[in-house]
Amino acid sequence: MTLAGSLYGRLLAWLALPLLALGALLLLQAWFEARDTADRAYDRLLDAATLAIAEQVQWQDERLWLDLPPAALEMLASDAQERVFYTLVDQQGHYITGNARLPAHPGDDAASGDTLLYGDIEWHGMPLRQGVRRSRLEDWRSRERFEVRVAHTREGRDALRIELLRGNLAGILGMGALAVVTLLLAVRVALVPLTRLRHAIRARDPRTLASLDLALPRELAELREALNELLARMRRVRANQERFIGDASHQLRTPLAGISARAELALRRQSPDEWRAALETIHATSERTTRLAMQLLSLTRLDNPEYRPEHRPLDLNACVRQTVRDHWVTCHQAGVDLGADCAEGEVSVAGTDWQLAEALGNLVDNARRYGARHITLATRRAPPRLVVEDDGPGIPRERRLLVLRPFHRGRDDGEGSGLGLAIVDGIARNHGARLTLGEGEQGRGLRVELRFPEASP
Amino acid sequence: MTLRRLARLASLATLCLLPFAVYAEETLHLPAEASAGPMRPLVIHAALDLPQARPLLEDFHRRHPQIDLTYRNLTTLALHERFLERPDEADVMISSAMPWQFALANEGHARPLGGPILDAWPAWARWRDELVAFTFEPIVMVVHRDLAELAEPPRNHAELLALLNGHRQALAGRVASYDPVRSGAGYGYAMEESRLSPRYWDLVAALGAAEAELVETTGAMLDGLVEGRFLIGYNLLGSYAAPIVEANPQLELVIPDDYALVTQRLAFVPRRAPHPDTATLFVDYLLSVEGQRTLAERTSLGAIHPGLDGPGTAAELRGRLGDALRPPGLGPGLLAALDRLKRRALLARWQREFRRDPGDADSAAAPAAD
Repeated sequence: MTLAGSLYGRLLAWLALPLLALGALLLLQAWFEARDTADRAYDRLLDAATLAIAEQVQWQDERLWLDLPPAALEMLASDAQERVFYTLVDQQGHYITGNARLPAHPGDDAASGDTLLYGDIEWHGMPLRQGVRRSRLEDWRSRERFEVRVAHTREGRDALRIELLRGNLAGILGMGALAVVTLLLAVRVALVPLTRLRHAIRARDPRTLASLDLALPRELAELREALNELLARMRRVRANQERFIGDASHQLRTPLAGISARAELALRRQSPDEWRAALETIHATSERTTRLAMQLLSLTRLDNPEYRPEHRPLDLNACVRQTVRDHWVTCHQAGVDLGADCAEGEVSVAGTDWQLAEALGNLVDNARRYGARHITLATRRAPPRLVVEDDGPGIPRERRLLVLRPFHRGRDDGEGSGLGLAIVDGIARNHGARLTLGEGEQGRGLRVELRFPEASP
Repeated sequence: MTLRRLARLASLATLCLLPFAVYAEETLHLPAEASAGPMRPLVIHAALDLPQARPLLEDFHRRHPQIDLTYRNLTTLALHERFLERPDEADVMISSAMPWQFALANEGHARPLGGPILDAWPAWARWRDELVAFTFEPIVMVVHRDLAELAEPPRNHAELLALLNGHRQALAGRVASYDPVRSGAGYGYAMEESRLSPRYWDLVAALGAAEAELVETTGAMLDGLVEGRFLIGYNLLGSYAAPIVEANPQLELVIPDDYALVTQRLAFVPRRAPHPDTATLFVDYLLSVEGQRTLAERTSLGAIHPGLDGPGTAAELRGRLGDALRPPGLGPGLLAALDRLKRRALLARWQREFRRDPGDADSAAAPAAD
């Protein structure tokens, strides 16, 4: 379980790192605080000792005089048996008495009263804490200033500091341990729904697309909803597929059944003319069936989301002219007037020419089959459009969406396959074009428009 | 009579080598025995007389025959000055001048010792594991039997004060005590006593009124007592007085029962000792049951090992005198004795009190004495 690779690790790392930093900060603070506290406590000893000495400083024989109280030195030493030093100096800093010549303190005088200063000094290789009291004689003969310096080694302070620190450390470590345990539990508990979701998905029947019904916290509920939406789409797609397969097999069965019945009928006859007539009928039907099968195939191909044909730049006018050439004879024979109304110059889009040709062919076929007398193929610019307009019966507004479904026909005369418009729709989607169905110019007929996106330069 | 007097003189000769007086250096050398293994030198500088030190040194040498032991007995002053001149000469420093020993240790001249023997040593008798007290010697009064003709011998300081005030004429010139000006020990006792009781100054005034003889050593006082020149000796070092009193039935040793000062020999191993291992070995011996038993049985120094309680031990003295015994705390308070202004102030006061008009001795006993 790497940290970055697991949610558990990530959460833990992002919670534990600040916790660690906080712990380190607390430790640091405890360290300094313990030192300050110990120094404050022991500086009072320096304070008291300097006061006890200063009180015994007198003016005698025209000079400073000290009757050193032994208790002043005793109070400088705690149970830790510190080494003790003291010095008395006069106003000019001249040594009067003492068992050591302690250095002066650089601090300034207090505004009033005695000046008390503390400092850490190094004296003969020993780290000492020094206390300095600047005072003056309260004598009517002399107001001489003097300075009492005392110092002791740090054993007592260090012992107190360690003791304080140990107390703090125990607290901090205890809290830290508690926090880590809480953290581990909390992260584990928080991630339990995820495990539940995984188990629920694993335990599902792979064939079912039923939506997931599981109580989950909000963040995971969103994930569940997204999953359910996906499942719902898959259910719809599958329903469509099932209907399409049903429709397709029905569509193929009808002409095949016709062929079979026609052949059976012909076999009972003896006349070659009748056989021929039957064979011609069978031939026509099988051709229609073949076309139906091909349309099914191309529709399947268009519906396949994996299928992405390579589009190339092409001229819509060329497509239109080619379609008119291909269908002119058929239409002329059927007495239909097929015309083209091309925009000037080239109307270029990115597309696949055979697909566009098939779409146009389907539209022309449809129009012809549904009884149009005039069919006009047109191209327009900005945005590039293909328009097929006829004067046939048209499609009522409320059915215009339905006719785009496979196997839905404008009327039931057994002639069309019902796939034509669905295929056109598929091709339009394939080109990123929008298919709109409307009415002809005088409110009659059908106007089909394919609106392409602007060709990228 | 002549023989007895000669013996007395011989014992006095040893007492002449007491600390606090300047005498010639006295040396004892116990050579290592070649069969005992590689030789390990040990140099001890001490202010401790040979009659007291010899049993200890010999017992130690018998237990560690491979040690080549050199013992130099000096006065406390000479000991101190020699150490400051050559701090890398001695392995062990022993002295009864407690403030000086403490000052040296305070300045970091002593080596931390440690070890199980030191850890078991009473806390009041050691400082920072650097300085150890290993003897317990009360400061005593010695009185001559002839005093009985005048009065009962005093049992404590109050009785002494009353005696001095009551028989000022009869005792004139027949009382001896330390001169705090010339004797370091005398100064030390004066300082201790002035801290213990403000009535000490009355005692000093009474001593002055009785024209007390001020001498430099315990030996000089004992000398006069044995000869009968003095009737009362005040503030004698008990460890030196005890054998003399034992040898002279006309003398009586009195440990005051109100308070009795105690002096202790302090030993330390210098930081720059040339042979710290053998030095530690010797200090460990001094503090061991064996060393302390030798101290109790064969010297009059007073053993303080908590496991010993026979005659010649601090425990026995404590049982007899209880709280009256006042060993000076091994602490920085000792340093005050070395302060030069303090010394001058105390001596000035002492001399002033000593010369005080005897007539106002009683009035000065009032609480306002200080």
